[in-house]
Amino acid sequence: MRDVFTGIGFMMAGIVTIITAQQFPTLPSLQYGPSLFPSLVGVGFCLGGAVLTLNALWQRRKATAQVVQDDPTPATSPSEKMGWAMVLPPIAIVFYILASDYLGAMLTLTVIMFLLMLLRKTKTYVALITSVVMSFAIYFIFSHYLLIPLPQGVLLGGSLPWIF
Amino acid sequence: MNGVGLVLNFETILVILAASLFGIFVGAVPGLTATMAVALLVPLTFYMDTIPAIAAIVTTSAMAIFAGDIPGTYLNIPGTPASAAYVGESYALAKKGRAREALGINLVCSVFGGIFGTIILIVVAQSLAEVALQFSAFEYFWLAVLGLSCSIFISVGSRTKAFLSLLFGVLLSTVGLDMMSGAPRFTFGVPDLMAGINFIPVMIGMFALNELMSYYGSKSEKKTISIVDNDSVFHHVPGHIKRYWRNMVRGSSIGTLIGALPGAGADIAAWISYGVGKGRSKDSAKYGTGNIEGIVDASSANNSGLSGAWVPALVFGIPGDSITAIVIGVLYMKGMNPGPTIFMDDSGLIYALFIVFILANLMMLPVGYMAIRLSKFFILTPSRILMPIILCFCIVGAFAINNSVVDIWLMLIVGLVAYLLAVNDFPMAPAILGLVLGSVVENNFMSAMLRTGGDLTSFFARPISAGLGVAVILLWCSPLLIKAYRYYQQKPGTAH
Repeated sequence: MRDVFTGIGFMMAGIVTIITAQQFPTLPSLQYGPSLFPSLVGVGFCLGGAVLTLNALWQRRKATAQVVQDDPTPATSPSEKMGWAMVLPPIAIVFYILASDYLGAMLTLTVIMFLLMLLRKTKTYVALITSVVMSFAIYFIFSHYLLIPLPQGVLLGGSLPWIF
Repeated sequence: MNGVGLVLNFETILVILAASLFGIFVGAVPGLTATMAVALLVPLTFYMDTIPAIAAIVTTSAMAIFAGDIPGTYLNIPGTPASAAYVGESYALAKKGRAREALGINLVCSVFGGIFGTIILIVVAQSLAEVALQFSAFEYFWLAVLGLSCSIFISVGSRTKAFLSLLFGVLLSTVGLDMMSGAPRFTFGVPDLMAGINFIPVMIGMFALNELMSYYGSKSEKKTISIVDNDSVFHHVPGHIKRYWRNMVRGSSIGTLIGALPGAGADIAAWISYGVGKGRSKDSAKYGTGNIEGIVDASSANNSGLSGAWVPALVFGIPGDSITAIVIGVLYMKGMNPGPTIFMDDSGLIYALFIVFILANLMMLPVGYMAIRLSKFFILTPSRILMPIILCFCIVGAFAINNSVVDIWLMLIVGLVAYLLAVNDFPMAPAILGLVLGSVVENNFMSAMLRTGGDLTSFFARPISAGLGVAVILLWCSPLLIKAYRYYQQKPGTAH
C-alpha cells in the first residue's frame, strides 16, 4: 500500500518539476534549452510513479482475491515499523542550526550528544564525560587543525578562545 | 619513480595507518557501512593533498569491507552490506569454535582479491585510457547513459524504484546555473545553490544521516557474544589456499568485473560470486552449514570489486560504485579531472595511486590480524554512544566544506528524502550515480548538439558512439529479449 502513496508522490513531484522547468528562459539560438533535462526528469517521475502505483494496486488486488476468507493479519504498518525516534537526528540538526550562533558549536554539540545518549539509556556520567570530551575533540580538530570558523557563540563569546 | 616519492613520505604513511584503524572500526560496527565511512571522511580529506586524500579513501574502504566480516562471524550480523552474502557460512563456522579460522581465510582472501583487482586495474586502465583519448562528447554521452542504465538493471529489487531513485539524483544534478544559458535552475533564490548542489552534504545526508535515522527508528540493540574463539588465525590458511585457489581467482575475477560495472559495488559482487561458487561446487550441499569454499569465493569478490570500480572511474570519470562516485567528487574538488588524461601527465600521480592500492591491501594483513584478535572490543562498542558522535561529525562535516549553514540544511533535506526512499526499499546507489553522471550526460548532450546544430542522428554517426548507443538500446530491451527467449524455450516443453 505504501508504494501507492510513494508512486502518487513521485507523480506530483514530476508535475511540479515540469511546471517549474517551463519557466526557465530559452535561447533562440539553441534547439534544446535549460528546461529539457528537468522536464525529462519530470516526465520520468510521472511515468515511474504511475508504474509503481498501478503495480502496487494490481498486487493488492491479486492478494485480496487470493486470501478472502483468511484471517486478516495486516502487515506491520509503516508507522509501527519506523518508530517515532527516527525524527531525533533531524531535530538535533535543526537545533544546531538555530542554537549554535548563540550557544556556540562546542556547547551545542555537547547538548545534542548528551541528550541523545541519555535517551538510549546510557549512564549519566558516561554520557556526560563522552559528550564533553568528544565535542571538545571535534571542535579542536575542525577549528584549530582545519581552520573551520565554527560558531563560537554569543553566550561564551570571548571566554573560550584562550585554548586556541 | 615520482609516484614512489609521492607515497612513501611520513604524511601519507601516517594517513594510511590512521585510515586503516578508522576503516576497521567502522566496518566492524554493525550499521555503519563502508560508504558511510568514506562520506564522513571526505570533509577531512578536503584539507589534505591529493595522494593522502585518495590513500585515506582507498584504505578506509578496503579495511571496512574486510572488517564487515567480523560481526558477521561473531553475531551473524553483517558489518557492511558487502558481507551479507556469506555471514551464514562464517557464523556456522564460529559456532563450531572456528571463528578465527574463518576470519583468517577471510582476511587472506580479502587481501588477495584487493591486489588481484588492483593488478587488473593497472593493466586494463592503461590500455583503455589510450582508447578513451579518442572519445568526444558523443561517446561520453553514451558512456554516461550506459552507466546510468547499468545502475538500474543491475540493482537488486524493483527496477522502477531504481529508475526513480536515479532520476532523483539527476534532478539534484540540474540545480544551479545552466551551463549553456546561464539561467538559474531550482535555486529558489538561494545564492549558495547557484554553483550547483554541493556533493559532500548530499553524500553525508544520503549515507550517514539516513542510517542514523533508521538506527533511532529501530528497537534498541543488545549485543552479546556467545562464541568461543581459541583457535589460530592463520594456521589453516595455507591448506585452504592450496585447496581453493581456483575459487580465489574466480571470485576475484567476478568481483573485478562486477565492480567495474557502474552501479554494482562490492555487495552485489559478493552475492553473485557466492551464487556462482555454489552452483559450480562439487559439494554444494555443504553450503550454508559453514563451508570455507563459499567464504573464499565471496570474500575475494567483495574486495576485488572495490578495486574494479576504479577502472571506469579513473578512465572515463564514470564511477563503478557509490564509493568511487564520492572519489570522483573529491578529485574534481582537487582540480584533478578523472579521465584518460590522468594517465598521460608525468607527475606520477597515477602510479602513486596504484602504489597506494597495493600498500593499503598489504596493510590489511597486520591490521586485520590485530582486529581479529581484538574483535570483541570492536563489536561491543555501544551504538548508543557512537551514533550521537557520528551525528555531530555529520553536522560539522557538512558545514566545513563551504563554511555555510545552507549545506547543513541541504544535508538534512537530502537525508530526509533518502530515509523515506530507503524505508520504501528504494536503492541509494542509482541516486548517487545520477547526481554524478547527470551533469555529464547533460553537458555532453548540449555541447554535441551545439556542434551539430541539433542533429540527433549525429549520436550514431561515429563508429564507437554508434556501438555504445546500440549497447544502451540492447540493455534497455534486454528484459523483453530475455522474456521472449524464455517463452520460446518453454514452448516446445509445454507442447508435450
